[in-house]
Amino acid sequence: MASEALTAGKASPHGRRRLTQLPLWAGLTALAALVGLGLGSLGALLVQAPGISMASLWQEPYLAGVLRFSLWQASLSTLVSLGLAIPVAVALARRRRFAGRRLLLRAMELSLVVPSLIALFGLVAVHGRQGWAAPLWEALTGSQEGYLYGLSGIVLAHVFYNLPLAARLLLQELERAPAAHWRLAAQLGLKRRGIWRTLEWPALKRLLPRLAALVFTLCFTSFAIVMTLGGGPASTTLEVALYQALKFDNDLALAALLALTQLTICLGLWGLALSQGGAPSLAVGDGSAPLGGRWQRRDALGISRLTDTFWLLGLALLLLPPLVAVVVAGLGGLADLAHQASLWPALWRSLVMAAGAGGLALTLGIALIAGHGWLAARGKRLAAGLMEGSGQLILVLPALVLGTGLFLLLRPRLGGGWQGYGLVVLVNGFMALPFVMQVLRGALLGLPMAQRRLADQLDIQGVTRFRWLLWPRLRRPAALAMAYAMTLSLGDFSVIALFGSPSAPTLPMLLYQQLGSYRWQTAAATALILLATVAALFVLLGWLTRRLPRYPLR
Amino acid sequence: MNAKATCTLLSLAAGMSSACVMADEPRTLTVYTYDSFVAEWGPGPGIKEAFEARCGDCRLEFVALSGGVDLLQRLRLEGGSSAADVVLGLDMNLMAEARALDLLAPHQVDLSPLTLPVDWEDPIFLPYDWGQFAFVYDSEVLPDPPGSFAELLDAPDDLKVIIQDPRTSVTGLGLLLWMKRVYGDEAPAAWEKLNDHVLTVTGGWSQAYFSLFMNGEAPMVLSYSTSPAYHMAVEETERYQAAEFGEGHYLQVETAAMLESSEHPALARDFLDFVLTPGFQRHIPLGNVMYPAIDIGEERPAVFDRLIEPESVTFTPEEVQANRREWIREWLNASTR
Repeated sequence: MASEALTAGKASPHGRRRLTQLPLWAGLTALAALVGLGLGSLGALLVQAPGISMASLWQEPYLAGVLRFSLWQASLSTLVSLGLAIPVAVALARRRRFAGRRLLLRAMELSLVVPSLIALFGLVAVHGRQGWAAPLWEALTGSQEGYLYGLSGIVLAHVFYNLPLAARLLLQELERAPAAHWRLAAQLGLKRRGIWRTLEWPALKRLLPRLAALVFTLCFTSFAIVMTLGGGPASTTLEVALYQALKFDNDLALAALLALTQLTICLGLWGLALSQGGAPSLAVGDGSAPLGGRWQRRDALGISRLTDTFWLLGLALLLLPPLVAVVVAGLGGLADLAHQASLWPALWRSLVMAAGAGGLALTLGIALIAGHGWLAARGKRLAAGLMEGSGQLILVLPALVLGTGLFLLLRPRLGGGWQGYGLVVLVNGFMALPFVMQVLRGALLGLPMAQRRLADQLDIQGVTRFRWLLWPRLRRPAALAMAYAMTLSLGDFSVIALFGSPSAPTLPMLLYQQLGSYRWQTAAATALILLATVAALFVLLGWLTRRLPRYPLR
Repeated sequence: MNAKATCTLLSLAAGMSSACVMADEPRTLTVYTYDSFVAEWGPGPGIKEAFEARCGDCRLEFVALSGGVDLLQRLRLEGGSSAADVVLGLDMNLMAEARALDLLAPHQVDLSPLTLPVDWEDPIFLPYDWGQFAFVYDSEVLPDPPGSFAELLDAPDDLKVIIQDPRTSVTGLGLLLWMKRVYGDEAPAAWEKLNDHVLTVTGGWSQAYFSLFMNGEAPMVLSYSTSPAYHMAVEETERYQAAEFGEGHYLQVETAAMLESSEHPALARDFLDFVLTPGFQRHIPLGNVMYPAIDIGEERPAVFDRLIEPESVTFTPEEVQANRREWIREWLNASTR
């Protein structure tokens, strides 16, 4: 947050200074919570581990191979996801009206949350050896072997998850460009290349490093997808080795070593990403004008019609068929599902937990970005970077390590009753932070200079400043962030599986119970309910924060 | 920090309005088990009801974890301070490691009603159901399944199977041991031949069965010999059957055990006594899709008579404990070449 004109030299009364330092303290509190939880649980594991031999990482050929493969598949997946997300986002920004655009956006939001087992089902139904696309593939290549098993399958699945996420966030960044810019571009008669150079690329460039770090982290830590589609133990990632060490072999030293390796690689990458991109441009949109709106884009004509169609069709073909496969399978199981008494309580339980996790992630995210902004405005780049980077800590830490570490910390009793659920909410909230911060960052830091000066002159600080200056521009991104965070928590199984639970399941747990006992059609129906809930959440939160004509002066 | 304070703190932190229920209310039996056991349609609810009716004023509380391996790890982490009175779901391959923790107490139950395919005299682990690992096949795609490992290994390359990873899954470990039992020192060579038929190696049974096999990706999947019982009884289809292998099938026995640290040892013993009665066992066949551990006569669903009945092969739990890492390494070498 930018309360940067706590003008140097001007003596402020004590209370006033405290108020302007509010962002810093909020940020520091969030930072302490994150670092405490993250490093605390890792520390607990380290204390238990006998001796850690760093050298085994490159001396043991198995581990070296695992590390190499993890890096390779994650880099490749990131490159392909982002490389394709850019033209898709640009095309979506250029085409603001076409039949099915809203549907496509909704589907992009959904893909992030589909539990991996369900996504795998959809991907296999479409791309598998017996899939819908198999005859086409065979006609094209003459090969029956298909492409779903092996590195190509892993990358395909990762692109299915991450391209929509990346394109959605890039689109949001593109659409934040102020109307004045588009007006100018239209008046200057800028064509495709000109618009790309002056408007699109600068906007995308700001976001790309962080996005790359996020996608890389997600791919690097992916488990079920890599294992199912990898084809065999040659495609083993660090996560698998970690699971084996921690669960099957009870080798805490190795687990800690692998966790540290993962932490070092991913945090290093985040460090690199956060040091790039710098501060967002100060002249960003005031957010009140209709986005880009009425200014005709000259680049929307001609050949771009064709290329945009290509990209959007490609996105639809990647995204929709697997979701449709899940929906089709789910419809068949709905009748069975209706008989299950545990469905609605499970859904309700999941929603309450998701709301808790979402609220937590939103609060922490705002606090961290505010603290980051406060520090950055005072030239403390390193501290600002640390504050922003800490938001990524929990996602980077393997869930298994986090869970085991927390367990060791909170012994003796944990898991029965409500503590387990509470802890899941806490961890889910923390894990959603990187997503929330991606969405909120621009809106929070991009307060126009003129408004900022005026607010400073009028001495509007603290909560008032937040309520009247920031919140109006924050509400829509906040809704999107909240929806993402809730969605992540709704679809989460990894964390809740760590702590165990009383017999009252959440929705994903119910789904896994169904899968664990052959009820795959019912499970598909449960997945359908999960998808519908997520879609409803995005719609509802978007509707609740729609623009009302409450600020007629703007 | 004592347990109550931790509990309050956590509920506050998480903003949970509900009161924190402590597990140590009088006469509550806490049973750790795996998640499909406690599902609404699983054996859990029926067993809970029957046991609570039997003991009168007690309550049975299940805590569900993801699987047997997670149960073992939870016991290891909690040590002597575990909230559990009974742990239900450790299979034979985890027994030796669980025993080494020194946390479990003898069950003192009369084992004479047991009808397992092997003799069982373990003083700590009480079997409650059993099954055999097997390849389940889709009879519409594969009318003539291989009748032995040898036939499977020599089948044309286009016969594909889906298996699970022994590093992360119970069934995967089962196949590893099965191959080792059948082929001994020749196992690496056998693995190399089998790998020609492996479509992919999934992390867990659910991915293999649900995401791939039910999608028709391969005509065979590593599962249990009892899997067809579910399809026949609940889905009323004969389409999915288990292939009977002449070399014998690897046995899986799931067990219950009580903890030394139990706060209600009498109640825990009561529960273990209950395990080998029809009141418990009648929920096993269709609830858990496994064979009951005792003869329950007419109450065993008729579909169980139509399952394959191959010979059982096993290693002792101690052999598994001593060699598992080495055998997994052997498999890795044979499979990454």
